[in-house]
Amino acid sequence: MSGLSLLVQMGLAALLALSVSLPLRCGQLSLATPGFYAIGGYVAALLSTRWQALGGAAATYPLPSLLLEMGVAALVAGAVALLVGRPVLQLRGIYLAIATIALVEMLRVLNLNLEWSGGAVGIFAIPQPFAGPGGYLAFTVLLLAAWCWICARLDRMRLGRAMAAIREDELAARCMGIATTEVKLTAFVLSAVIAALAGVVAAHFLNTWNARQGSFDASITTLAFVVFGGSRTWLGPVVGGLVLTALPELLRPVGDLRLIVFGLVILIGPALFPQGLITPERLDWLGRAWKSQGR
Amino acid sequence: MTPPPPPPLLELEDISRRFGGLLALNRVSVRVEEGEILGLIGPNGAGKTTLFNLISGVTPPSAGRILWRGEPIRGLSEDRVNRLGIARTFQNLRLFGPLSCLENVLVGLHHRGRSSLVGALLARPGFRLQQAKLRLQALELLELLDLAEQSDQPAASLPYGLQRRLEIARALATAPRLLLLDEPAAGMNPGEKEELSGLIQRLRQQFALTLLVIEHHVPLMMRLCDRIAVLNFGERIAEGPPEAVRRDPAVIAAYLGVDG
Repeated sequence: MSGLSLLVQMGLAALLALSVSLPLRCGQLSLATPGFYAIGGYVAALLSTRWQALGGAAATYPLPSLLLEMGVAALVAGAVALLVGRPVLQLRGIYLAIATIALVEMLRVLNLNLEWSGGAVGIFAIPQPFAGPGGYLAFTVLLLAAWCWICARLDRMRLGRAMAAIREDELAARCMGIATTEVKLTAFVLSAVIAALAGVVAAHFLNTWNARQGSFDASITTLAFVVFGGSRTWLGPVVGGLVLTALPELLRPVGDLRLIVFGLVILIGPALFPQGLITPERLDWLGRAWKSQGR
Repeated sequence: MTPPPPPPLLELEDISRRFGGLLALNRVSVRVEEGEILGLIGPNGAGKTTLFNLISGVTPPSAGRILWRGEPIRGLSEDRVNRLGIARTFQNLRLFGPLSCLENVLVGLHHRGRSSLVGALLARPGFRLQQAKLRLQALELLELLDLAEQSDQPAASLPYGLQRRLEIARALATAPRLLLLDEPAAGMNPGEKEELSGLIQRLRQQFALTLLVIEHHVPLMMRLCDRIAVLNFGERIAEGPPEAVRRDPAVIAAYLGVDG
């Protein structure tokens, strides 16, 4: 894999980690992210291959069409999240996790067997909006930056504060007048939209899309990003996604040992840093250290 | 013809609550009039906190009616009850621990700041002005409860007595008409208890509050409350002015235990 391609993969992983972290901010362990990622990919694959069949045979797929796909994917994923979220978010803790895994598996099995999603073969020859990985990288970085900014803003907004209150004590939050179901649903829908947008980019980037995208092991991998990086800041999941995606490639020189090293990192990370690599306290400390250095 | 008198602020009619085989509350009726401080006392396990849970929507009653200004509110969720104007504190303290004192109060102010998502995301001037106003309101509440110095500290790091006061500040932030205080003096030293009584009186004046207070410290209750209701084994055994309740034989029997 070329360096640029790896960077694109890292950016997409960071987006998926942000998606997992949003429900976690209000204490909800949802593993539905790969399901919405798959939905985004299928929306992109179906729309763009149709466009080709309609005779839009330009060398590169037009950017406005890509943006349109993203809009459609966000709408579809958001609608599914709204529909599924209301009953599913009644569940707590591990039961919510299990129900969302079930959602991911249901979508996978559906996509594997339905005709319009290409069955087991999937959808091939997805048109390319960018000539090479450089264009994908720029686009992914923009998308990631936008969502980082939104997630960072959340801390200062009443929605973000309500989410934190629910995470700490849901009953107390309700007694302070917060409609907790609506807040949790909003976080779940936002999470679905991020994952779907990442799916759109990934489908074009990979050139092919099938039911293996968005399976149970992806649920665990994306959760590992957040556990490793830390779920209490927006930066934690992003760092987790970037590092854990880069690591297997960077470890290539050590051959088969890399899987062992990778496993050790995932094991030791949470053992040494149970709150994740990045916590608000550590960021404060870094900020202070940096300021005193400047003086 | 005289117009009918306005309904009481809160009225519980024949409220019962059963937990499995345990009858925690048995046909309890209580009226809370606008502007008064009603004390709720009784031995441990008498059903006082259960009564608070029923009023605030945490647990539904098994039978009976709860009327807010004459309208039934039974079955409303906690957040809807709060938005009607009923706020509470918790006996076992349920603050948002890692959040700062200021943020805890800001959560209580949740519904004061209606802002558009776009305005908030872009930090438009309107949004920033509103943020500044909310912050100021929160700081004023902290100041009022003598917590201004602690505003940036995590709630969980405060000593017990201050956490109790922070719970009151957070509840006040939701702009209640009726404030339910569940053992506000528990864990406070005698000096703090003395101040608390004055503080509650001040808050009633300033916010035109009605209060329903659970407290074990009887001397404090005698001074503070306009009326006192006594619960024992889930039943209301007395209700009236503090002096009358203190002399009530049924109350004396419940607290001291009397044969036959």
